[in-house]
Amino acid sequence: MVSKRVLLFVALLVLISPVFGVILSEAVGYHEPLDIAAEEVGLEDITEKVNWTPFLDYTVPGLPDTIGYIVAGFIGVCAVLALGLGVAKLAGRKGSKT
Amino acid sequence: MHIPDGFLDPLTAAVTYAIMLAYTAFAFIKLRREESEDKATLAAVLAAGIFAAQMLNWPIPGGTSLHFVGGALAGILLGPWLGYISLFLVLLVQCLVFHDGGITALGANVLNMAIIDVLVGYALYKAFPGKYKPVGAFLGGWLGITLAGVACGIEIGVSSQLPYGLAVTVPVMGVWHAILGVVEGVITAAVVTYLARRAPYLFS
Repeated sequence: MVSKRVLLFVALLVLISPVFGVILSEAVGYHEPLDIAAEEVGLEDITEKVNWTPFLDYTVPGLPDTIGYIVAGFIGVCAVLALGLGVAKLAGRKGSKT
Repeated sequence: MHIPDGFLDPLTAAVTYAIMLAYTAFAFIKLRREESEDKATLAAVLAAGIFAAQMLNWPIPGGTSLHFVGGALAGILLGPWLGYISLFLVLLVQCLVFHDGGITALGANVLNMAIIDVLVGYALYKAFPGKYKPVGAFLGGWLGITLAGVACGIEIGVSSQLPYGLAVTVPVMGVWHAILGVVEGVITAAVVTYLARRAPYLFS
């Protein structure tokens, strides 16, 4: 039921993502307006102090950032798709209409 | 605009978590009662696409960056409940697997991007008739991001150490997202217009 063309498009997005998420981000010293606002009021990001995941910030241990970003992207896409399809099964049970 | 751990005080974190949990429960009840498996499968695929799209961070001259959020698009294509579930799953995976967005900030991030952005997108799209739908989609994408940014500014403003925190964070977040939100609006309108032509069955 999941269109192959759509999945291909998603895969393509992931493949090109490190151009933006890694290469260009490093070029501008990636930060968002949220980071600007937080700096102004003295908030501290403690992400690294309380981290539990080896895939922090879309990196994969042992892989260069660019490749790791793509691998992380595929991990994330698969995880979201798996959860989503599981949720879809809930809709398919009693109480749903087509 | 994913708020990391350390930005929110316990009360703000708790309140936003409570909102998230209640809304999630309600959305799943709606899912079981009203949604078809086909539409929910579409939601799963859209969620995967939104996850991928969010990984494209565009640098902006001036030293900041933005990424497409997709809440308004999800609300337009899926309605408020499945649209919520799509973004909720994206934010959940981003937080738990990649620590993109703090675990203490999950409630706030969900409120901003899965509730506010989705509802605003959905409402504005519905408000415009027939041939003006692209306008509704653009405004939904733009205002959804702007209001999500304002909400984010409120959450970190009340959590800040400074007594005038809100007076700083709300304008910074609001103005920046009102500007950057134009891109989200354009992409939302473009995608909606394209799908309306190529896959009109999505808009039943």
